[in-house]
Amino acid sequence: MSLELSADQKTLRREIVAFARRELGPGAGERDREASFSRELWQACGRMSLPGLCVAEEHGGLGLSPIDTAVALEALGYGCEDGGLVFAICAHLLACVVPIARHGRDEQRAHYLPGLVDGRLIAVNGMTETESGSDAFAMSTTARPVPGGFILEGRKTFSSNGPVADLALVYAATDRAKGFAGGVTAFLVDTDSPGFSSGQRFSKMGLRSCAIGELVLEGVFVPEGRVLGGVGGGGAIFAESMNWERALLAASHVGTMERLLETAVGYARSRRSAGKAIGKYQAVAHKLADMRIRLEAARLMVWQAAGKLESARDASLYASMVKLAVSESLVESAMATVQVLGGYGIMTEYGVERVLRDAMASTIYSGTSEIQRNIVARWLGL
Amino acid sequence: MASQEIRAAVKDYIMEEFLPGEDPATVSDSTALLSEGILDSIATIKLAAWLEDHYGIELEAHEMSVDNLDSIAAIAAIVTSKLEARG
Repeated sequence: MSLELSADQKTLRREIVAFARRELGPGAGERDREASFSRELWQACGRMSLPGLCVAEEHGGLGLSPIDTAVALEALGYGCEDGGLVFAICAHLLACVVPIARHGRDEQRAHYLPGLVDGRLIAVNGMTETESGSDAFAMSTTARPVPGGFILEGRKTFSSNGPVADLALVYAATDRAKGFAGGVTAFLVDTDSPGFSSGQRFSKMGLRSCAIGELVLEGVFVPEGRVLGGVGGGGAIFAESMNWERALLAASHVGTMERLLETAVGYARSRRSAGKAIGKYQAVAHKLADMRIRLEAARLMVWQAAGKLESARDASLYASMVKLAVSESLVESAMATVQVLGGYGIMTEYGVERVLRDAMASTIYSGTSEIQRNIVARWLGL
Repeated sequence: MASQEIRAAVKDYIMEEFLPGEDPATVSDSTALLSEGILDSIATIKLAAWLEDHYGIELEAHEMSVDNLDSIAAIAAIVTSKLEARG
């Protein structure tokens, strides 16, 4: 078993890092201050097929395996200083595009995937509601069968990409008595459908260049042909999409952790105090050593979890473990970097405080750390 | 494989994995496992993984439903149909 990147993986990483540094990094601070999402940068990502890394080549994607997708997203997290944009790409790809690629009918894949891959379309996952966050199946959004389709009513919140999305993957209750297992259905809803609106747009402490808001569905008609994966299949589709999101969003965090480490080490080697570089002081050096160890452990956990995604039934265990460990490691490493950089760490112009603000959300979205621990405990039979 | 044999094996697995120490008499072939909350979402996935491994079958996303997994009898029925389809 080799844990070295192959030649192809190294090329993939190198190309994405170079692209991200050249095209996505400039202006990241300004977009953060203004909380502005850039569709131009999204389209640039589309030209690199980043929104469709693991989509089959016949639909315009790169056809990457989950592990290769992890390598690519790590490269994006490393090279791109716009954490909101990285998050937006990941949310689109992992929680929306992957479910369509894996569960869509041929017609649905042919209709949506090319645009979702090449940057023409942006997707939003509509699951969370005000009264049901990680408890996703206490949802109030309903889908009522009518001739030729369904009428959707409800309101989703904290929907990443919601205010800018062209397509919404909406989960709605079709049979409350069945609950999680068979009572929830996934619908592909064009956001220009009559009765659909994007509702409130939220202001956040981090990930500010990713637009997050509400989805409002007021009598939205969705034809039968836009049911994803069959009536009642939404619970399983959502659970699987969370495995992908938790495992592979963490890959982007690994890249961010590597960039933070390089920033912190570079500063510790150059900044002098009392006649020597501050990195020579153990109080600083130990922080950096811990950052390196967290980075290596995180990368291995991501690869392990990614390797489970396509077939293993225990993928959710590994996805929860990696999501929990890597998001908390990211926060620790971001805080350590701010501390090592001292006054520069909290100055907005250096961007490190922005990474910390972005990182704080990582232990919350896609299921909080507490929920991940619950899942791991349940897999232990507790 | 006889349905009764499948029912017994499934019940043994559920008692050992999810209800350790409970009286087996509390769970019958018709006890509602999902809709009564005996099995939650993760337990359902673990059960599906066991069924796939133990019987060499594959359950699709839409088959992970209360219609197919809510009771030992229903579980035995879908396992039987999968085994028969496989031939």
